Amino acid sequence: MRKTYRYRDLSYPVEDSTEVFLTVTYISDGNLGKTLVYQPHLGNPEIENSGTVSIGTGAQLRGRITICLTEIANLNPNEDEISLSFSLNDTPLVAHHNDKSEENNPTIVLFIRFPKP
Amino acid sequence: MKRIAVLFCCLPFTLIAQEVLEPLTTPSAPAATILELQPKVILQPKSYQTLETALYSNFLNETNEAVIPANFALEFTPYWTTNHGLSLMDYLYPETLADQLLRNSSFSLASTQSFVLGDSTTTNGIGFGYRTSFFFPNTADKETTRAAIEAIQKDNTLKGRIQLEAFDITENRKVANKSEFLLWMDAVVIRELKIYSSLTSDNDLKAILENITKESRLLPELDLEHPDPFIDQYKEIVDNAVKTKLLLSNFESYLKNRQGLTIDVALASLLVFPTNSFEFSYLPKNAIWLTPSYRFSRTLDFLQVLGVLRYEWYLDEFYDRYFPNTFTYQHTWDYGLSAVSEFKRLSLQFELVGRQRSATIPAGFDAMGNALFRKEKDNDLQYAGTIAYQLTDKIVLSYTLGSRFETILNPSETLISLLCLNFGFGGPNMSDLELLKE
Repeated sequence: MRKTYRYRDLSYPVEDSTEVFLTVTYISDGNLGKTLVYQPHLGNPEIENSGTVSIGTGAQLRGRITICLTEIANLNPNEDEISLSFSLNDTPLVAHHNDKSEENNPTIVLFIRFPKP
Repeated sequence: MKRIAVLFCCLPFTLIAQEVLEPLTTPSAPAATILELQPKVILQPKSYQTLETALYSNFLNETNEAVIPANFALEFTPYWTTNHGLSLMDYLYPETLADQLLRNSSFSLASTQSFVLGDSTTTNGIGFGYRTSFFFPNTADKETTRAAIEAIQKDNTLKGRIQLEAFDITENRKVANKSEFLLWMDAVVIRELKIYSSLTSDNDLKAILENITKESRLLPELDLEHPDPFIDQYKEIVDNAVKTKLLLSNFESYLKNRQGLTIDVALASLLVFPTNSFEFSYLPKNAIWLTPSYRFSRTLDFLQVLGVLRYEWYLDEFYDRYFPNTFTYQHTWDYGLSAVSEFKRLSLQFELVGRQRSATIPAGFDAMGNALFRKEKDNDLQYAGTIAYQLTDKIVLSYTLGSRFETILNPSETLISLLCLNFGFGGPNMSDLELLKE
């Protein structure tokens, strides 16, 4: 069974009118993956490998848990680990790291709340 | 991947704990070759291991008898000790030759306490080596890679969208129990499969749907207070149904045997301490290798052909002083071919190498008192076969049998009979820092 790494109870206070941008940065070498955010009214925004995408305004994200999910694999035989980071509007949120010996094709899930500041 | 020194101190533990990343090959560090611990001439391209060490058991003591000495070789690729954030495409297709040179540069070191001089005394010798490699993919390689990455990303989207919905409906309590969950997810799976599945046949889609439906009905009841085990099992059912592991494993297998031309360049020098004093040393022998290799297409993917061009040059002063009763050529050119075939854990290698040697020898003086020289040339042949068995992905046992070039000390003893155990170690790992990770 492929491992799922869950990061719960994440919180990012944001004003109603502020647009929130999610940035995924791959740190280890040779990663291949995709990040999706459950935001149906925006068509579930996606990031291929590293990148930044808008996931909606504070008002649109309020009142529920927003799910951000990354499917990733590392295909570089020189590399021993999978390492990547997530940030919201340039504020670091999660730095994920796992050894490839533990899981080479993990699912990483962030559960984020967006309360008022 | 930043604590290589720590790794080296913990080799026995690392050997057990490290993941199976890339099979090793038989050892071929340039530094070991210049010391003649490794008699073969053709250096195979280096494996992907960040650090390699090899224990050799074929050398001579002071009476020229074979012993099992504590000879040691180490090859290290510094680039991969730190992360660079390279995407897979950046990794597979470096933009410039300079990038390839940097990434593939490895340094080797080998040492022996049994380097035998002409008077049969033993002394210390150290070999230093460097090598790098350049890969030139062909058009088929680029097309295969592009198609594989596209298929994997499409599969990531499919799996991701199904899981997103599963997490959302459980976390935000849109369903109350297993029945409602499965009813909801059946519709999601049908919708996403139609959009993102690479299957084109309706029958294939139907079979996957039936499989997921049938398996998911066997799941235990959904506990919304602790939904993770249920979601994980549901994810495994989807993974198995869409055969997600197959896409990755097929691509990984391909990447280990990419079609194209590889050119390895290596340099090595021998440093000898004739009096076993650090202050007094010679650099008696140097070598440079050029090793092109080509891996054939899929029908012949078990076969790799390598060529070699090696130039060695010797220091007259050292050999005249410490090998007074032998004749040493100053310049040596080696040229030859090697074929390597791999059948799962077993590999067979054969090499045939020709050698041309030349030396400029003093031949007295002419009537005017000017020094005269004559040119001496010689040809030789080396052939060797190696059978190697991969005991584990980190340990390779190999045996080489053949005839080597005539050596300076014992020109009549050309038998190669070398048993070798090669160990490989990946880079060390950063400890977990994330407090939130479950």
